[in-house]
Amino acid sequence: MSAFSRALQAYPTLLRVGFAGALAYRAELLIWMLTTTMPLVSLALWTAVAESAPIGRFGAAEFTAYFMAALIVRQLTGSWLVWEMNMDIRSGSLSQRLLKPIHPLFVYSAENLAAIPLRALLCVPIAALALAAAGGERFQAAPAPLAIFAAALLGAWLLNFFTMALIGSLAFVMESSTAVFQLYLAGFMIFAGYLVPIELFPPALREIAAVLPFRYTLAFPVEVLIGLSGPRAALRDLAVQWAYAAATAATALWAWRAGVRRFAAFGG
Amino acid sequence: MAQAPLYSIEVKGLSKVYRVHEREAGLAAALRSVFRRRYKAVHAVEDLSFSIGFLGPNGAGKTTTLKVLSGLLHPTSGDVRVSGHVPQRREADFLKRITLVMGQKQQLLWDLPPVETFSLNRAIYGISGPAFKATMAELEELLDIARISSKPTRQLSLGERMKCELAAALLHQPEVLFLDEPTIGLDVSMQLGVREFIRRYNERHGATVVLTSHYMDDVAALCPRVIIIDQGRLRYDGDLPALVRSVRPHKRIALRTSAPLDRAALERIGGVLELDPARAVLQVPQDALREAVGHLLARPEVTDLTVEDPPLEEVMRELFSHKADEPVTAGGPEEKDA
Amino acid sequence: MTRVRYLRLLGTQLRVSLALGMQYRWEFLLDGALTVLFAFIGVIPLYIALAGRPPVGGWTFERALVVVGWFTWLKGILDGAVNPSLISVVDRIRQGTLDFTLLKPADAQFLVSTAKFELWKLVDVAVAIGIFVYAFTALGRAPALADVALSLALLAVATLVLYSVWILVISAAFWVVRLDNLTYLFNSIFDFARWPATIFTGFWRILFTLVIPLALMTTYPAEALLGTLAPRTAALAGLGAVLFAVLARAVWKRAIGRYTSASS
Repeated sequence: MSAFSRALQAYPTLLRVGFAGALAYRAELLIWMLTTTMPLVSLALWTAVAESAPIGRFGAAEFTAYFMAALIVRQLTGSWLVWEMNMDIRSGSLSQRLLKPIHPLFVYSAENLAAIPLRALLCVPIAALALAAAGGERFQAAPAPLAIFAAALLGAWLLNFFTMALIGSLAFVMESSTAVFQLYLAGFMIFAGYLVPIELFPPALREIAAVLPFRYTLAFPVEVLIGLSGPRAALRDLAVQWAYAAATAATALWAWRAGVRRFAAFGG
Repeated sequence: MAQAPLYSIEVKGLSKVYRVHEREAGLAAALRSVFRRRYKAVHAVEDLSFSIGFLGPNGAGKTTTLKVLSGLLHPTSGDVRVSGHVPQRREADFLKRITLVMGQKQQLLWDLPPVETFSLNRAIYGISGPAFKATMAELEELLDIARISSKPTRQLSLGERMKCELAAALLHQPEVLFLDEPTIGLDVSMQLGVREFIRRYNERHGATVVLTSHYMDDVAALCPRVIIIDQGRLRYDGDLPALVRSVRPHKRIALRTSAPLDRAALERIGGVLELDPARAVLQVPQDALREAVGHLLARPEVTDLTVEDPPLEEVMRELFSHKADEPVTAGGPEEKDA
Repeated sequence: MTRVRYLRLLGTQLRVSLALGMQYRWEFLLDGALTVLFAFIGVIPLYIALAGRPPVGGWTFERALVVVGWFTWLKGILDGAVNPSLISVVDRIRQGTLDFTLLKPADAQFLVSTAKFELWKLVDVAVAIGIFVYAFTALGRAPALADVALSLALLAVATLVLYSVWILVISAAFWVVRLDNLTYLFNSIFDFARWPATIFTGFWRILFTLVIPLALMTTYPAEALLGTLAPRTAALAGLGAVLFAVLARAVWKRAIGRYTSASS
């Protein structure tokens, strides 16, 4: 475990430098932030739709709560690893990462996490306020759900990060895995409940969504946050989420290792 | 794609220690040795370290070799060992002992000042506080980067970037330095500066430097030992001056003249490489040099005369035009083996 | 010959011709499948919002499908004709090979725009037409010929606007060389063009009509096809598009000028 503990020791510095890097590249950060504020547009849409009549349990207030929560969760768990990996692999600058005595995924993860405070800083306080104002009755500030929410959030980040690492590793064998990523995003938009709450899906689709892992990257933490799931269901879902996260992590690490071997065989 | 050559390169730190039984004279000692033996450590080879340069035409496999040595590329066959490690396993221990500086791809973070990269490397390589301070001070002094290391990398000139790149690469005091075209794109004074730095660093730390370069001057200045590879094969392993003498045991005489010289007359002295109204270049064997110079200086038209070694590029070209399997032996007509 | 041998011969023929045309057929097939998939996925929120519910802003599900149809068509143009060329520009700027393009004795904007086409995206047009057929069948009528003509004209307008937006985005690449995320942002916003713009109210409607003219791109052609677009609006849209294109070209020229006068 000494490689892991060494990486942990270096982690604070990795985070600090990652933060500085995020600060330095403000334009890029701004754009990433803007992409994750799509829930605001969704909100405008659905409140307009719900004006005549609520859809299921969801009226204007419920939609506000949902999409504000979605915004918060997205900002805190989003990762752009696929783009970065594709660029590093294509340009060959991955070689520099490979020469360091630390697993590149560690460094990537630090870069991702380091950017979160900045991203969150602008959106999250506003969203949290809106959430509290609109979803007052739904938001349970009781300790148990909050702890579960934290675990769900971490699980979502892990699942998301390693999914990105997996898709990014495809760039070792394809010219560019961004096409695959688009496919994944399409699935994510719907089945993670990003565009519309899963609860409102037609029954057949609801069944599909319950089984796919997309749900656990967004919809699940959101539902916990705004109290759509009770604690027992939440705990069960938490177990599934972390199982998915572990499986994805293992697959991603394997794909990475296989990819690096190929990278080294064909010319770094 | 170039094949990786089959090499086994010895690098720094090769030591062989024998435990030898100490024998003392005398009966008492002999008796004593029955009960208790004394051992002495004998260091047969200690801290073998050196600088070598890779020379070869484009596509010969120089960069490929460096990448194999640093573990970035897997050899198709054969064994490679550096500092006792198999590079392609990319063990953390191995990675901490080497560094690779590529002229084209840099490790400095682009939008942040070099000090941040230094800080990052410090954490990644696990360098202690005092060691970091000491190394930093030394590198700042040798490279003169104290003033520029706090500016964002993208604002630095190419030469400044190279210096900071070298600093970042050496923070962890690697034993083996792989330098791939380190002076490419730099102006002449900066090239000299980098060469000087590498030389002094090597003197101080005794690290093994493996260098590839297009610039013969890099290799000539830095590498007492040279390995020639051509089409991925080893052609020569020895020192550079001896190589030059054996391949091209000639000297060049460059003349400036106030009036045109007669070609036939010059050809009696040596081979005429260039001849125009104001200057001439002759090629003369080593042993005929003194005589030739004497003759030439006696002529009134000669206003200036210099004696040079043939350019290394030409030596290399000549070398690579030999049949591929012929190894080159060092030593000119009168020299012994180096 | 027996029936079996005919079949076998047919099978061989098919296999041979499939293999011959495989190069592009594969892309056509794959893209067709993906487009149908994405169209279906994209319709889900609309379905939930509008199907079997009171119309929002005058839009029922069937009418909204027409917007989706134009969205699919426009996305096909975007991904097949506009994106590939312009993305290669970003790559060339990064690698420094744009200089070769600029040295050619032809307009740089034209050259970069026509560098690359992905012809199999034509399938998207087929999918779009399929969506129109479905929508109008559900509405129980066929569009008037004049409406079709007008909507096609507005499609041309929409393409011009889309192209101009892209030119603006690419011009930004001269300043902010890393553009992957900008294209991602663009695509995320463009995705909302699936929805009829008049569903939005107030601030958002203004935003999506004037600032980021999504309305222009998909809603107006849809309204034209449905016969509900006022001619005045169509004319204004056309004018706006032209002005926008002029603006985009001006920005492009400025960006190129800055690029070529900058030292390496």
